Amino acid sequence: MSTTFDQVATIIAETCDIPRDTITPDSHAIDDLGIDSLDFLDIAFAIDKAFGIKLPLEKWTQEVNDGKATTEQYFVLKNLCARIDELVAAKGAGAQP
Amino acid sequence: MQFEYFQMIDRILDLNMDEKTITVEAQVPQHNTVFEGHFPGYPIMPGVLLIETMAQCSGWLLVGLMKFERMPFLAAVKEAKMRGFVPPGELLTVHASIHHEGSGYAITEAKITVGGKTRCNATLMLSHIPFPNPDLRGHMDAVAKRIGFPQQALLP
Repeated sequence: MSTTFDQVATIIAETCDIPRDTITPDSHAIDDLGIDSLDFLDIAFAIDKAFGIKLPLEKWTQEVNDGKATTEQYFVLKNLCARIDELVAAKGAGAQP
Repeated sequence: MQFEYFQMIDRILDLNMDEKTITVEAQVPQHNTVFEGHFPGYPIMPGVLLIETMAQCSGWLLVGLMKFERMPFLAAVKEAKMRGFVPPGELLTVHASIHHEGSGYAITEAKITVGGKTRCNATLMLSHIPFPNPDLRGHMDAVAKRIGFPQQALLP
């Protein structure tokens, strides 16, 4: 069973045509991989579909713009994957009776 | 349709907020300078204008779903197929539906039919932001009135 990181890294590689072996858990999607906002929308779409969640991109962007969070908290891949796992867990918990 | 003002939608026929679908009508002008160049002796509507028409149709669906609080913008054409020519004077029926609603963006599926036959279809990505200024909001209100946006669709 592939990890969240494996799935996200594959999505990024295929969406942005970035060599898979250059993508690591410590890669910063923007600073290291050079992913721009439009490409990140494509990635978000693929992640939303793959994990059945809705990445709160607008909330994250607002928090970064307001100085309440750093881009590293959301866009370093190991942190992004942790957020995805949290969203998946929350979705699962919400689905229970 | 008024190509000069990029007003591609003439009227909204149906807006289903539950199903998240919209159907609009667009009358291709009989005469326009666009057709003089595209193409001399064989006038057909350019594919980019058909894509714009599908994007505007998708946009009105999103404007309705977001209760006129946000403005959508075409962000990406994921796929578009021009399946048949659209000559001057045709009456287009344009359909759009939501494929995916993300945070700050949506993916729509849109198509244009004439007489029930599909002339083109596309998968589009639109990003959306709060209206950047009152002028644009006022313009959209005016266009909504012109194309018969069903205000009752906004009721809770």
